Amino acid sequence: MHKDLENKFLSDFESNQNIVHKICRIYTTDRDGHNDLFQEITIQVWKNYPKFRGDSKFSTWMYRVALNTAISLYRKSTRKVKTQDFSDVAFKIKVTDYDDTEEVQLKALYKAIHQLHDIDKALIFLYLEDKPYKEISETLGISNVNARVKMNRAKEKLKNVLNP
Amino acid sequence: MDLLENYKKAWNNQPDAEDQLSSVDIYKLAQSRSSSIVKWIFIVGILEFVILNSLYFFVDMDEDYAEYEKLGLENFVFYSQIAAYGILFYFLTMFYLNYKRISTTDSTRTLMKKIIKTRKTVRNYVLFNLSYMALVMIVVTVASINTNIDDLSNKQIILIIIVTLIITLLILVVLWLFYQLLYGFLLKKLKKNYKELAKLNELH
Repeated sequence: MHKDLENKFLSDFESNQNIVHKICRIYTTDRDGHNDLFQEITIQVWKNYPKFRGDSKFSTWMYRVALNTAISLYRKSTRKVKTQDFSDVAFKIKVTDYDDTEEVQLKALYKAIHQLHDIDKALIFLYLEDKPYKEISETLGISNVNARVKMNRAKEKLKNVLNP
Repeated sequence: MDLLENYKKAWNNQPDAEDQLSSVDIYKLAQSRSSSIVKWIFIVGILEFVILNSLYFFVDMDEDYAEYEKLGLENFVFYSQIAAYGILFYFLTMFYLNYKRISTTDSTRTLMKKIIKTRKTVRNYVLFNLSYMALVMIVVTVASINTNIDDLSNKQIILIIIVTLIITLLILVVLWLFYQLLYGFLLKKLKKNYKELAKLNELH
């Protein structure tokens, strides 16, 4: 990669790294997994960066690369992630009973998202990030209508987990 | 308000990750695949060990042992093999520890040190294998000359020594090429990575 392009990649990536951290939190549950996924996403974004032509915002493009990496990496292990133990359940009931601080809400949200299917995770993530449907459909490579249908189902599933 | 809208607020207000990476860290992460190279060194080492040792199950060694016994070398062969296995296990453990200890989140300097250490381990491993091979060849030759010394003329002895030396050298070269092929590729990648890290270290 050219030196100028390298520097541009570094500054772009540095200022958008929180997106990657959030995706790692959604798709992994421990520190090692988080770091592994973070590295894999960094490598993928780096490798594909010369192809990024700048017709969209860098962050938009990065959502796509990062989510694709996470989905393809964790596709096989969805079943494992879906299982929940008792402490999980107990924790969930406790926090949904009353509206507490945002921190507790956030923890419950992550726990609930961890139980979703890999694609649903991506959809919910983009919803939480306040992305318009146009961008969501582009990021996930599905039609606008399809994105809306899938999003509604994903939201229903999430609500069921949050508030059974 | 929708239940999820409620959570969205919490989501938007979530703090940034604690460990914010600098551009140097990101560069390292994107470039350095050292940990996966070191992992491959470990895997190749294990495979080599398992494959070479399982060959013994298919090759009939009885004749060789009978030959060693004739030369009075059964003790040497027995103990040197035990020692060799011990040392091989040591190297495999080192390969494993190198792999376990290397982490891409290390500082550039530590990572460079670990890369050098891994390269050294592999080099010593290859050196050990080659010298063990040479030692066995030499001991067997000396023993066979000793056993048959009464039937051999001086000329024959010199001829045997020269032929053995040539054969030993040939075998060593072949073995060396084999290791070059097996590990040289991985070591080259590590070296390249090391140079990149060194360059990066100078810049910052």
